[in-house]
Amino acid sequence: MKGKRFLALGLTAVMSAGILAGCSGGDTGTAAKETKTSDGKTELEFLSTKAENKDTLQKLVDAYNESQDKVKVNLTQPADAGTVLKTRMTKNDLPDMVSMGGDFNYAELQSAGVFVDLSGESMLENINESYMNMLYQLNKDQEEKPYGIPYATNSSGIIYNKDIFEENNITVPETFTELMDVCETLKAAGITPFEFTYKDAWTILPVWNSVAPVIQPENFYTDRRAGSTTFADTHSEVMEKYLKLVEYAQNDYMGTSYDDGNKKFAAGEAAMMINGSWAITEIKKANADIQVDQFKFPSTDDASKNMVNSGVDVLLAVTTSCSDVEGAKDFLSYMVQQENAQIYAEEQFAFSAVNGVEQNDPSVAGVKDDIEAGNVVDFPDHYYPSGLDLSADLSTFFLDKNNGKEDAKNIEDTLKKIDSDYDTLNVN
Amino acid sequence: MKKKTALKPKVNIAFYFMVIPFVVLFFAFHTIPFLRGIFYSFTDWKGYGVWNTVGLRNYIQFFKDPAIAQTYLFTLKFAISATVLVNVISLALACGLNSKIRFKNTIKAVYFLPYMLGTLIIGFVFNFIFGNVIPLMGQSLGIEALSSNILGTNKAWLGILFVTVWQSMAFNTMIYISGLQTVGKDVYEAADLDGATGFTRFRKITFPLIAPFFTINMVLSVKNFLMAFDQIMAMTGGGPGTSTTSISVLIYKRGFDGGQFAYQSANAVILFLIIAGISIFQLKVLEKREAKMS
Amino acid sequence: MEKNKMRVKEKYNWPMTVLLIALAVIFILGPLYIAVIIAVKDPSDMANVLAWPKVFRWQNFADAWTMTDYPRKFLNTFFITVVNLVFTILSNSMVAYAITRNREKSRFFNMMYYYFVSAMFIPFNVIMLPLVKQASAFNLDNIFGITFLYIIFGLPMNIFLYTGFVKSLPDALDEAAYIDGATPFQTFFKIIFPLMKPMSATVAILSFMWTWNDFLMPLVLLSDQKDQTLQLAQYVFKGQFNTQYNLAFASYLLVLIPILLVYVFCQKWIIAGVTNGAVKA
Repeated sequence: MKGKRFLALGLTAVMSAGILAGCSGGDTGTAAKETKTSDGKTELEFLSTKAENKDTLQKLVDAYNESQDKVKVNLTQPADAGTVLKTRMTKNDLPDMVSMGGDFNYAELQSAGVFVDLSGESMLENINESYMNMLYQLNKDQEEKPYGIPYATNSSGIIYNKDIFEENNITVPETFTELMDVCETLKAAGITPFEFTYKDAWTILPVWNSVAPVIQPENFYTDRRAGSTTFADTHSEVMEKYLKLVEYAQNDYMGTSYDDGNKKFAAGEAAMMINGSWAITEIKKANADIQVDQFKFPSTDDASKNMVNSGVDVLLAVTTSCSDVEGAKDFLSYMVQQENAQIYAEEQFAFSAVNGVEQNDPSVAGVKDDIEAGNVVDFPDHYYPSGLDLSADLSTFFLDKNNGKEDAKNIEDTLKKIDSDYDTLNVN
Repeated sequence: MKKKTALKPKVNIAFYFMVIPFVVLFFAFHTIPFLRGIFYSFTDWKGYGVWNTVGLRNYIQFFKDPAIAQTYLFTLKFAISATVLVNVISLALACGLNSKIRFKNTIKAVYFLPYMLGTLIIGFVFNFIFGNVIPLMGQSLGIEALSSNILGTNKAWLGILFVTVWQSMAFNTMIYISGLQTVGKDVYEAADLDGATGFTRFRKITFPLIAPFFTINMVLSVKNFLMAFDQIMAMTGGGPGTSTTSISVLIYKRGFDGGQFAYQSANAVILFLIIAGISIFQLKVLEKREAKMS
Repeated sequence: MEKNKMRVKEKYNWPMTVLLIALAVIFILGPLYIAVIIAVKDPSDMANVLAWPKVFRWQNFADAWTMTDYPRKFLNTFFITVVNLVFTILSNSMVAYAITRNREKSRFFNMMYYYFVSAMFIPFNVIMLPLVKQASAFNLDNIFGITFLYIIFGLPMNIFLYTGFVKSLPDALDEAAYIDGATPFQTFFKIIFPLMKPMSATVAILSFMWTWNDFLMPLVLLSDQKDQTLQLAQYVFKGQFNTQYNLAFASYLLVLIPILLVYVFCQKWIIAGVTNGAVKA
């Protein structure tokens, strides 16, 4: 009796599905919702994906809102911003302007055509050419058009506590072997060499990002895309180095979150962290007096080969759903003015993509020369397919290690997993 | 159900006005998205841009995908463990709370408290306790097992399980109490006369009488736990690795973020089939029960 | 009779009382105690997390209040919760009434019953991805839209709850009203609706709990910071509190306090209402 009714209902559902299938799908059309404040200013939403730069951006935005009476910029900064941004793209409800990293999220958004082409704008004149090129690499078909303005660039390597190094007469290591010696010295002195924060899986990536581009064969990205090489064949050295490094990490490196780790490092509980310059902001927030500096990760034993990871940490872009493109451009011109870019660089320990802005903070002095000399390499994961969750695979690697999985097997399985993830995504 | 053989009486038109607007709205905002979801699962749509229909490709990929398999295994393991634990603990608690205790209402109110609090915030609080309180306690007491954050180990799922049980048992306990209250005193008196006490009495007399409440709890629990989302987002975000990624977390994260809108729509359809299966099972069981009771 | 007197004398099961209190203190109140003391501690006083605070830093609450823009988020959540509650009770009960009274007379109403009830099989996660697209196309990705969607999405469960109850109200009530010349609408609002109070209380409590504590639907639907609910705001601000646990916990407590107040005053109703709903379902 009831069974029959459900069957009837099911049939109705299937039939209407058929009808709907014919007419669904074509639902594009961006509605630019223009909103105004009570005093007639156009409101523009400016979404930033970095939690670390909130205070600085807010300061710049406030000053801008004070300085003119046409536009009111509202800064928003959601947690898990990458996903939020994609969700909003799915909803056709993008913010007017974004500040985001020059990474695969940018690449995905750009290829979906949501950014306004800023070619010919005078504000671009003062932007560093090589960082512009870095963004072109991420554009669909490597199109040489500025859809985003590189604003700040970062440096990723080893952040160290200068006082601890001095007290133990340690000099900055230039090769991987020297780094291991430093760790031994520290350990012998009863100091934890590394504070790792692998509960937040993305903090596992910096080592990979430093080592992989140095050790991988030439043309790896192209060859991997063509399927003529694999991670399993070429990247085991990265994994071996990981295993050596975690020997010197605090006990609970898998259970420590990024926030907690920064706090502990700031309290002097460990000598080094492997992460980008963005973490320095957080460390200084927890302990303003700490003396820190950064040095490049010594990926190999050949000091001349080692390089600093540096990529576009923050780029500014206007979206196609922006309700007042001219107003947005005016705001961006304001942001790239030298004095404003200087404020950003100083407060965020970042290097600037704006020419003439100097970064003289001692907290990043150790990598400054390399960056100025162009001895830098971009983050390799920007060249892997978007959606490749490398950090999850690496996190699984450490989880298995701690469960007693044998190292050689673990390395092999992890790299194979990365290969198969890569292939799945490469097909689509 | 009675069958009317006589002429059907006419339905007042006003009743149609009461129902039809809501049927239309429900169809537009619940049924249509549902049907569109089914439709998307046969496409390669990313949620934006151009798309093609791809037939069953998403479903074929679904059954070959180790990430999906792991997610389903985790979710099932989690749902079953949580269901069993919650029900065992709740039943024990209910028996305790139903006995002749002092301050009964106050104690009951305290045990029900967790139900009132949002899962997300509970998750944040326990995230802190697991990460910052328990390890410190473990270290000072010298207990190796407690001195690291459980959420960073392969036992992370136990941490999430604990929080889930902590929150869910409130509800189940109250259901069991209302079940126990239907068991009259005379039944126990009769049992006393027969010499049945303690666990025997529970097994032979109490449990069969509250069995219907047990089914309600089991079914409601399984459904809720299969949908676990808030506590996972608050505590591990699906990690370490992907070891605590539940089906809901995967749909949210990959559906929007990984360019897998269509693929995760297929995942949602499969999830629907599982939930529907459980619900039909639930209806059957409940119907049987009603038939027995009337 | 003799026996009854004996019972009164044996009275309370003290070992059980003590055991239950001990368990409640350790497992239920313990974590809440931690949450409360962290919220009132000074950041410098965190060395021993469990210890009683040296000074009470009420400033944490003030800071959290402004940082999360609490009044606004509270009003948003309050609006969603209250509007949803009122409209759900009025409308869903009416639909359930119309359906139940006519199920045996008309195929259509019987079909509608199964249509709504079978939709209970569809969890939110299943329709989430397409719904997000559709909601934004209809401009429903805001406070009003989400409230509307809550009312609509509550229909299956609430119709299920109400129908059983309506069945128990005798048809004679309606018939008497019709003889007096009342329309079905008048009959429903003047006679039936007041009688549905016990079930409406259950529906009210369940709706209240659902909307106040919901996280996933606001997460995917509300993108404007001004529209955020309290739960969503906690998630969004997690990244910005960083290691300032004292502020974060103060903020959590600000979200928990309203619902705790409601609980303290309506505790009996709530427990009864929730249990009633589940047993009926």
